[in-house]
Amino acid sequence: MHLLGDGLGPGDGAPPEAQPIREPLHPRLPEGGPAAANARTALLRVEHLAKRFGAIVAIDDVSLELRAGEIHGLCGHNGAGKSTLVRVLMGLVQPDSGGVLLDGRPLSLRGARDAQAHGLAFVDQELSVVPALTVEENLFLGDTRAGLVRRRSSQRRLAGSALERVGLGGLAPTRAVEALSVGERQLLEIARALHRQARLLILDEPTATLTQVEIDKVFAAVREVAASGFGVIFVSHRLGEVLDLCHRVTVLRDGRVAGSHSVSDLDRDRLVELLVGEAGSEPGAARPPARRRRPAAAGTVSLRAVVPPGWSAPCDLELGAGEVVGLAGQVGSGASELLRALGGLSPKARGEVSLDGRTLPLGSVRAAIRAGVVYISNDRKGEGLFLGRSVAENLVASRLSSISRGGALPPRAVRGAAGRLASRVAVDPRRLSQPAATLSGGNQQKVFIGRAVDRERTRLLLLDEPTRGVDVSGRTEIHALVRLFADGGATVVFSSTDLEELLDLADLVVTVFEQRIVSKRPREAVVPSTLLAEMTMGGPEPVVAP
Amino acid sequence: MTESDAAAEPLSLHRRAVAAAVTGWLGAHRTAVAAGTWAALAALVAVLAYGAVSTDGFLTVANGKAILASVGVVGIVAVGMTFVMLGGNLFSLSLGTTLAVSAIAFLDFLHLGVAAAAVLAAAIGAAVSGAQGVAVGAFGVNPIVVTIGAGALQEGVVVKLTGGRTIVPSAPLSSYRFLVTPLLGLPFPVYVLAGVALSAELVLRYTTFGRELYLVGENRRAARAAGLRVAGVTTAAFAVAGLCAGVAGILSGSYNQGASLTLSGTYTYDAISAAIVGGNAITGGRGSVGRTLFGAIVMATLSDLMLLRHYGTGAQILVKGVIVLVFVSLLNARRGGSDG
Amino acid sequence: MRRPTGRRSGRSPVRHGLPFLTLALMVAAFVIVPAASDRSISHANLYDISQQVASLGTLVLALGLTMIAGEFDLSVPATYQLGSMVAVTTGVGSPAAGVVAGVAAGAAAGVVQGLVVTRLRVNSMCVTLGGYLGIVGLVFVVGHSSGVGYPRFDVGARLEQPLVEGVISLRSLVVIGCFLAVAAVFTLTRLGPEVRATGSDRRAARVAGIEVERLLVGVFAASGALAALGGALQGYALAVATPSTATDSLIFAATAALLGGVSLRGGEGTVAGIAAGTLTLGVLAELLAVMAFGDYITSLVTGALLVVVALAGAPDLSDRLVELLHPLRASYRLRGRPVGADDR
Repeated sequence: MHLLGDGLGPGDGAPPEAQPIREPLHPRLPEGGPAAANARTALLRVEHLAKRFGAIVAIDDVSLELRAGEIHGLCGHNGAGKSTLVRVLMGLVQPDSGGVLLDGRPLSLRGARDAQAHGLAFVDQELSVVPALTVEENLFLGDTRAGLVRRRSSQRRLAGSALERVGLGGLAPTRAVEALSVGERQLLEIARALHRQARLLILDEPTATLTQVEIDKVFAAVREVAASGFGVIFVSHRLGEVLDLCHRVTVLRDGRVAGSHSVSDLDRDRLVELLVGEAGSEPGAARPPARRRRPAAAGTVSLRAVVPPGWSAPCDLELGAGEVVGLAGQVGSGASELLRALGGLSPKARGEVSLDGRTLPLGSVRAAIRAGVVYISNDRKGEGLFLGRSVAENLVASRLSSISRGGALPPRAVRGAAGRLASRVAVDPRRLSQPAATLSGGNQQKVFIGRAVDRERTRLLLLDEPTRGVDVSGRTEIHALVRLFADGGATVVFSSTDLEELLDLADLVVTVFEQRIVSKRPREAVVPSTLLAEMTMGGPEPVVAP
Repeated sequence: MTESDAAAEPLSLHRRAVAAAVTGWLGAHRTAVAAGTWAALAALVAVLAYGAVSTDGFLTVANGKAILASVGVVGIVAVGMTFVMLGGNLFSLSLGTTLAVSAIAFLDFLHLGVAAAAVLAAAIGAAVSGAQGVAVGAFGVNPIVVTIGAGALQEGVVVKLTGGRTIVPSAPLSSYRFLVTPLLGLPFPVYVLAGVALSAELVLRYTTFGRELYLVGENRRAARAAGLRVAGVTTAAFAVAGLCAGVAGILSGSYNQGASLTLSGTYTYDAISAAIVGGNAITGGRGSVGRTLFGAIVMATLSDLMLLRHYGTGAQILVKGVIVLVFVSLLNARRGGSDG
Repeated sequence: MRRPTGRRSGRSPVRHGLPFLTLALMVAAFVIVPAASDRSISHANLYDISQQVASLGTLVLALGLTMIAGEFDLSVPATYQLGSMVAVTTGVGSPAAGVVAGVAAGAAAGVVQGLVVTRLRVNSMCVTLGGYLGIVGLVFVVGHSSGVGYPRFDVGARLEQPLVEGVISLRSLVVIGCFLAVAAVFTLTRLGPEVRATGSDRRAARVAGIEVERLLVGVFAASGALAALGGALQGYALAVATPSTATDSLIFAATAALLGGVSLRGGEGTVAGIAAGTLTLGVLAELLAVMAFGDYITSLVTGALLVVVALAGAPDLSDRLVELLHPLRASYRLRGRPVGADDR
């Protein structure tokens, strides 16, 4: 089914600014080439793209069209297929079926330099400007068209004009990039793309970590880029921004195109509806509550004026034993920083946390562990598991001193402890001697959790995106585990970007947006569309910048 | 490749499992390590075969004993080096110097009695190396740089204290004769090596320290997040290495009847080569004392053959260097990006 | 995804100027200390310093370049000897041809190691350790385990002749020329920023379009070539090439590079800084010689200096210190002492 919106005629889909579409500059064509091409020729055409990873369908029959000069928004939940689509476009992943046409010619890329040569530029949150170099050096870094010798004077001039175009005109090209803010660095990357006369600019969640002022500058730069005849794909979960910036929006849901419309035909509610589906508008969600909410003993875990690194406002929470709290926040919202601070990983966190009346010192992992606080990171491969070691070893890694007798560690004791932990988290005991790398994502996560949690001693369990990279059955098991620990009296705080998971698991839903708490409400009172609006825009009404 | 994916498509389970074993992250490494071990075995067999065919006197009991004898002191240092490598600290380039320092200390303190001198010498070795471990473990400084600097520092101190002279034993041979008397036809150091290697392997397998060492070597960040004592474990690993170097120094100094900085010889490089050829992962987290011993024996056999065939010093070093290069590449090649 | 963090770099004016400040201090010490102890310095001492730079300057530059690129070339002392041996054995008829041959041999050694590092993705310290052993072995073999003499004394005499008031030799001038050439390449071509980017943030460098693998092989080749050049000139000057397993030169090179602002993390450092670091150590060595403290003092001081400088450059030094001291604070708190709002 080819979803390209509603009967597009020649006048539809034109940029609201009503600028004539100029001939896009192509690095290979001589300057001053033929006159403006047919305005209806699509710059980029995605046709029936599909990609599966094993049993998981990432995208299915996705098509869209992008004209030169158009800013095209791409929205969808995590897991809806946005990043897969982008990776196909950038040549990082090959599709199973369907194709991509750039200027009517099929596109197949083999890496960063290839993408650059075809005129594609990609800017995402993981910036690729090098902080140790100057602004100027970064602008011209790795330019495939450049010769060996740097012509400093002409570079200086070109740098000046490139910076002007993105609103960084006042920036000295000789400044070190490390002195620039994140927003300025992002603008620098866009300037680099401009300089390379890219034809298509893809921005993937670029504004998640920017201030409002920086966001305005980025938008101005993006509009300028589009006005020069580029095509821009703007991937974002921040719906307000998408409506503000884009000409057209394509919404992906569960790997398919849920809708592709001109922005003038959309408003916030309609957009949220497309994202969530029809079932998202009643309070309490469409599923029966997974477990009865236990009356929590008040004031067991208390956060007072807690300010994790990067947060703009202090956080106050009173949580009870056996309570499961879901931090609803998108990537970059600050939820992760809060969890890490509570887990003792942030020496610079401020504020007062107490557990059962005793103060929990912030900034030391070992002190946190001693106090019964357990933090499960969202990066289980880098910071969590020992992939080359056996599952058994991974399970017992945190409690070696309690298993050992006077420094000695008899293998029987290790096996015994590992076996007990494995059964607690429902990991097949036959896999105990295998390397942890051979487990599925879900099982790895269970091992990670199982290692950290001690039934008797754990008072506060902190989970940062507990089911990231885990399939459906693994997810169910982990949710069951979490409930089990909560029933045992521990307080659980987890962060998630997944509405379903939040509604499934949490007793209390706390929304985090732009490094502050936006709302707190019990699960029964949550309306999914409102929740999504708060996570992506700060609230159903646009948040006024301070 | 995930379990659940496999479960969803049972027909291709077997194929996927094979694919996973061959192409997965760990698969590549384990295959490489396995390949490396086979290569080392093959090399040993080849050397033995070539030696037997081409050189008289190679495949004899006497020669076998000579090979074992030469493994003695080097093997002890190599055991120590293993601890450094397992913990993810690459290698210590000053263990040879520490050996010489301990030897000098031992001979100089002999007049206090063999036991006292030995304890002091070993303790000095452990302390000197342990201090380097603090810099590496607690402050995260590059181990290569710390150890070469510390090595030079030790050299300077030794020359200052000894005036550049060779230190001679400060007690008659009779008091420490047992150190240099062969036992059952094999030199004493071989037995010491056996004891040291056995204790070391027991420590690695059956103590908390050993387990933590492997975990820290496997993934330092995860170890920190799991609450393991990264700094303590690293310091201890270096201290153990220094202790081994100390013991080796005691034996070497006794044999030599004198000690100076030149006693350090090529022990450092030989120990590193033994650990690498034996198949210990150079980035840490995988390996054992047994592997190191195997590597030491391979290297000793090779050296012995080269000696019998009258290879010059240069050729010997060249061959050793090439072997190290080949084995380091074979065993430690990784798939995927080498980003930093 | 992580929020991008800024890496502390050496471009701030303070860190950039530190090598020169150190040099100034060292020169001051060189002038003051002997005078205070009634020893005199003369042109001969300055000549010695420039000779030190001539001998080891290219080594420091070689190691420094690989460190800026985020790697570490342990084999530079070996490649140095290789250059020496090859030049001495092949340069009897034409000294220039000998130098070229030596440099080529060094470059080849670098290329081989570079390929192993990039293609097989093995840690460069380990590869270059193997390279060190292999190349030293090769030198021993070629030199029959003893020195190889160079009969062309005239070449040596010309290279070593004191010029400019007896302060500097032709060999030193050549080495200085080397520094200038490399500095020119670094600042005037795109290679400079590319090497620094590769050392500083390899992922970003790749995404930006730099051919990281090819660049690294080139850096190792340059390292080998530079080390070999220094060795070749040394061989001519001393009229002999001697194989040796000593690692003093590596310690000098590492210390000089670190003093020169190069960091073990990669991405930091300039050629001018490396030159300053080399000169600083050269002056220090001469100072110690003038003061006649004794042989051991040079090893002692250089070794200690290396450890200190490496410690000073340790990543997140302040955080680590806080972390080390923290358990004391934490346990103090848990004992029930009331917590104030700004206890931090």
